[in-house]
Amino acid sequence: MNPIQLFELASRQAEWLSVRQQVVATNIANANTPKFLAKDTTPFSAVLDRTSTVQGMAVTQPGHMAANDFSDRNIAVVDEELNNEIGIQESGNTVALSDELRKTGEIKRNHELNTSLMSSFHRMMLMTVKR
Amino acid sequence: MTDPLLATLRVAGSGLEAQSTRLRIVSENIANARTTGDTPGADPYRRKTITFGAELDRATGANTVEVKKLGVDLADFIEEFDPGNPAADERGIVKMPNVNILIEMADMRESNRTYEANLQTIKQTRDIISQTIALLKASQ
Repeated sequence: MNPIQLFELASRQAEWLSVRQQVVATNIANANTPKFLAKDTTPFSAVLDRTSTVQGMAVTQPGHMAANDFSDRNIAVVDEELNNEIGIQESGNTVALSDELRKTGEIKRNHELNTSLMSSFHRMMLMTVKR
Repeated sequence: MTDPLLATLRVAGSGLEAQSTRLRIVSENIANARTTGDTPGADPYRRKTITFGAELDRATGANTVEVKKLGVDLADFIEEFDPGNPAADERGIVKMPNVNILIEMADMRESNRTYEANLQTIKQTRDIISQTIALLKASQ
């Protein structure tokens, strides 16, 4: 196994996590916006799957607006599945605040794991080089 | 291409601003819950309302939240019989503001909850950024 590949994998996951954090923050900020539909990113497995293409609209001209900056890396932002316990609120809003907070916790945990793994791989490489 | 983590901070910041504006409106309503008109039979304070809207921030491509509309509640005023009041009309009826303290309290709690959630997002994003920066620290 090539360690360089591991670093690439880790950086891809960090990228995906930060995009997801942005999407979750948007949901939380719009928790009281009428008719706002909660969004989520496609799972990380879709990023690794080179055959899968993003469901979003492709940018074919410079004047087009991209769905997000990472569309070329198989990260798409889609409407979140409806939480059955909370459902659609009276105002047409579908954000479940508790769900979003759980997601930010998950993102933070995964990011912590990601950075610790990266630094330990880095230590391993240094160990082999040092002697 | 902007950093999604920085866009996150901007989005959460817009949420904080929107919720604090909402809290201001709620406090105005509560403070004026008993404000009558100046002359007999005049209209009292009318309850204010606030509406949010999602706004696309073109610099970052993120959906921030903004105060879309500040309006007034068109519900009928509450009429009270109080002949001693300077604002009472010839029948002794005073028009009181259409503010319901219970509704304002519920609004305040909801606003507070969302504010806290936004604050939590900022804290966690800051932690994530410092974790990433910590990677640069020389490991022995």
